[in-house]
This record gives sequence, C-alpha cells and structure tokens, in this order.
Amino acid sequence: MAAAIVILPLIFGDGYYLNAMNFIAIYSIVAIGLCLLTGYGGQFALSHAGFFAIGAYASAILSIKTGLHPLVSILLAQVIAALTALGIGAVVLRLKGHYLSIATLAFTVIVEVLLKNLVSLTGGLQGLSSIPRISIGTFALDSDWRYYFIVWPTVLFLLLFSLNLVDSRIGRVFRTLKEGENIAQLFGVEIWSHKVRLFVLSSVYASIAGSLYAHYVSFVSPSVGAVMFAIEIVLAIAFGGYTMLWGAMLGVAAINFLNEYLTVFAEYKRPIYGFALIVIMLFFPNGLLDGLMTGIRRFLGLIKIVKGHPHA
Amino acid sequence: MLELRNVSKAFSGLMALSGVTLTVRKGSIKGLIGPNGAGKTTLFNIITGLYGPQKDAVTFLGTDISGLNPAQIARLGISRTFQQAHLFKTMTVLENVLIGRHYRTKAGFFSCGLRTTWSRREERYMKEKALHYLDMLGLIDMKDLIASRLPMGQQRLVEVARALATEPNLLLLDEPTAGLNDRETDDFRDLVFTIQKSGVSILVIEHHMKFIMELCDEIAVLNFGVKIADGSPKEIQNSPTVIEAYLGSEGTDD
Repeated sequence: MAAAIVILPLIFGDGYYLNAMNFIAIYSIVAIGLCLLTGYGGQFALSHAGFFAIGAYASAILSIKTGLHPLVSILLAQVIAALTALGIGAVVLRLKGHYLSIATLAFTVIVEVLLKNLVSLTGGLQGLSSIPRISIGTFALDSDWRYYFIVWPTVLFLLLFSLNLVDSRIGRVFRTLKEGENIAQLFGVEIWSHKVRLFVLSSVYASIAGSLYAHYVSFVSPSVGAVMFAIEIVLAIAFGGYTMLWGAMLGVAAINFLNEYLTVFAEYKRPIYGFALIVIMLFFPNGLLDGLMTGIRRFLGLIKIVKGHPHA
Repeated sequence: MLELRNVSKAFSGLMALSGVTLTVRKGSIKGLIGPNGAGKTTLFNIITGLYGPQKDAVTFLGTDISGLNPAQIARLGISRTFQQAHLFKTMTVLENVLIGRHYRTKAGFFSCGLRTTWSRREERYMKEKALHYLDMLGLIDMKDLIASRLPMGQQRLVEVARALATEPNLLLLDEPTAGLNDRETDDFRDLVFTIQKSGVSILVIEHHMKFIMELCDEIAVLNFGVKIADGSPKEIQNSPTVIEAYLGSEGTDD
C-alpha cells in the first residue's frame, strides 16, 4: 500500500487524477471514522458533515484571522472539534437507532445554518477564501503533488491506527455496543465512556479531513457541511461494507468518480444516490462490496461444481 | 459473602419476588431451585444490578451493592451466565472471553491505536489468561469460531469462561447444564468443584435435580416468588413443604 502510494502519482502525473486522489484521501478519513462509529460501534450518526465543516472552518478562521501557522490552527481545530463532539455526544448518544440519526442530522443542519448566518466570522454564503497553504519552513505544500505526500501518509496512519484499535481491548468494547450494551456492563465494562470516546474519535477524523480540505482548496463555503455530504459518506461506507475500512476507501473513490460523471445529471444526483442507498441497504446488508464478493465466490463455486461433476 | 434481606420485585403489580432472604457463604456452592416462573432469574438480575437500584437489600462482601450499576457490581467481583446464552454474536469465542478480561486491563485509547510495546504485552497476557479459561472448559479448539455458531450447550460453557475471566469472587450460574448430555453434565459438576476450590463462591440455578443434589452445600427453594425452604440437600429432599409445593406439583426432571 505504501509503495502504491509512492508509485501511483508517478503514473498519473501532476494533473486531474492527482487532484482526485487527494480528495479521495481527504474523504477517506471521514469514511474511516464513520466506519468505526457506525460499522463497528453500531451508532448510526449523520453528524460527520457537521464536524468536517467545523474542522475546515475552525482551522481556516484561526489561520486567516489570527495569522497562526496552519499546522497550529489545524491542531487547535481538532481540539475545538473534539470538545464539540464531547458536548454533543454526551447528549445525543443517549438516543438509540433512528433517533440518534435524526439528532445527529439536526446537528449537521444547525452547523450549516450557522455557517451561512454568522457572516462576520464565516463570510456567510460567500465563504472564506485565501486560506493559507500549509508550509514547513519555507517549503510550501502548494502543489497537488506536494499535498499528496501530506494527505496520503495521514490516511495511512489513521487507517493503521483504526485497524489496531478495532483489534484491541478498546475496539472489542466498541464492537459490543452493536449488540446489547447491558451484557458487557455485567463484566465490568463502563459502556458509556467507551461510547462517548468512540463518538469523539470518529468526529475528530471528520474534522481532520475538514482541516486538510480547507488548506488544500484554500476556500471553504457552507456547502462543505451540507446534508448531502453526510449522505454521500454514508453511501460510501454502505458501498464498501460497514466494517471494511479498506472498502470504505474504495467507496469514497467510487462516489468521487460518480460525482464527476453525474454532473450531467446534476439535478438527479440526490434521487439517484437516495435510491442507490435504499437498494444497497435492502439487498446488501453487509455493504455492496461484500455482497459482490460473496456473489463472485458463489459463482466461482458454481463453475467448479459444473466442471468437477462432484456428484457424478 | 452475599446477603439478600427481604428482597421484593414487582412487575406491573405482579409480585415476582416477595421478601426473599438469602445468604451465600464464602467458598460454598449454593443451589437455587423452584418451578419455572418462581423468580430465580429475577433474583440474579437484582443481584447483578440489571433492574436498577434496589431499596437497601443486597450486601456483598460487607458492601451495600443495591445502589450500584451493573459495571460497578461486576468490578466488586460478581460475574454471571445466562439461561439463554447472551454471547456477543459477531465475535469469536476468544474475543467473547477477552471481554471478561477488559476491566482487569488498562491499555488506553492511544496505546491501543499505536500498538505500543506495553499494550502488545498486555494483549498477549490477556489472551494467555483467556485461553487458560477456554482450556479449562474444553473449548480451546473453538477459540476462533464465531460464538453464535456453536451449539447452545457450548455457548453456555463459553459464558462460564467469560464469567471466570473476570476472576470473580462470586459466580452466578443460570441453568448451566441445559443442553448438556449426562456425561457432559458430570464433567461440568467436576469443573464447578474445581472452580470452588480456586476460591470462588457459587450460586447456581438448576432444574437438574441429580446435578444440584450432588453439587450443592446448601439449597434454597423458591415458589411463586417466595422462599419456601433453605437447607442442606438432604433437608430439602425430605422437606414436606418442598415435596408438596415443588416436587409434588411439577415432578422432578430426573
């Protein structure tokens, strides 16, 4: 994987695909975070668009208005996002199932409304532009090519961190959240604190992605926290499989390219995605990728049976 | 070690338990028998805190545990199994038992995510312990199977391993031999004696009369939420009240 990351841009060159790869990296971070919360923890949240926006705007505002170094403003933005997630999580995580989805969706809507209306801080509908690029000393990460080597290592690190976490004592508790919280408690596990921590971690993933986005595009507008974005991320992990962190990244790539090619049908994008999400959830409860792989395996099995005549 | 004084529980007006007083002596095996619906499992749920705070009626190791939540009670050293096995369905047998080790271990969020040397060492130690309990219950070959795929009888044994993994002072077993054949039941009886020897006190619900009579130091009998007898297996077998209310009306399982 690490090797592929180094080699791929050499193939793509400095152009459209490199740019696309950078966006895929950024959205992958959100998807990985959502996988942890929804796929492993069973908490179906739609607040990630909101936290993405918080990460993007907090870092942008801090670096523009106070002239902080982007790396410092990114760090501070994560602190802000984490505290927000802690406050929101402590309230909404008491809700279960669809109630939690609705409450977290409301959070995303509120963030979007605030971004549009706190004009003096956020620039309102116009958004914020000329967000400084990240630079290390005099070396500015101002090309797609240079940014690539910031975002992809970040994705890899967060992916590894997540894979490790899922397969540890903490991750095992996350996985019990999905099936009967009462049971784990009976073995001395403090469920509530684990649930809140998972929510904070997952939200900070979204916020890290938001910050990386802001300093890459150097422009943010309220659309970064749009409800449609929240749905797209859910679609991405539904595509890749809720508990397949790799799959989630593939899902992001698929959505990214669909977004490009569906521009022709821009007006029908929402109904198309909505319909796709319903179909995937109905027929592929473990995600589209998992469904396809099972299908292929069955198909290959069928061929083997026909060829080998096991009953003859 | 465990003392219940005058415990009552009503479900929408229906008395599931009324004024039950029960003691489990340190190091002993106590049986809890009675017809279906007598309130035995309700009593387990009260002890483990599943029904929320009680009115000052349960004492464990000298501490009043009636106001504590299930996790706090578990941390004081009470662990249990369920009548209908409640394993974590999508997790492997080993992972289920590892949940039992959770509160005995410390590695935090970041050391788990970064897989630090210290967290790896702890994880290894956790697994050793969990495998030890699986070995004790003869489940070592099944450690990597998804728990919900095992037959019911074995799922209950996994529950025993998970409960033991917390290293409890008191183990509550809810019909552990259901789904086991005669030989497995005898093996299980010997296992319970082994657990007792390691210093764990046991409270066990059973319908299997031969098993319970051979196993227990003392037996309490519940009928319609009321304790009608409490004593040695011999006393219970000869008690006219028990014979009339329980054995007489229901018949023995054995």
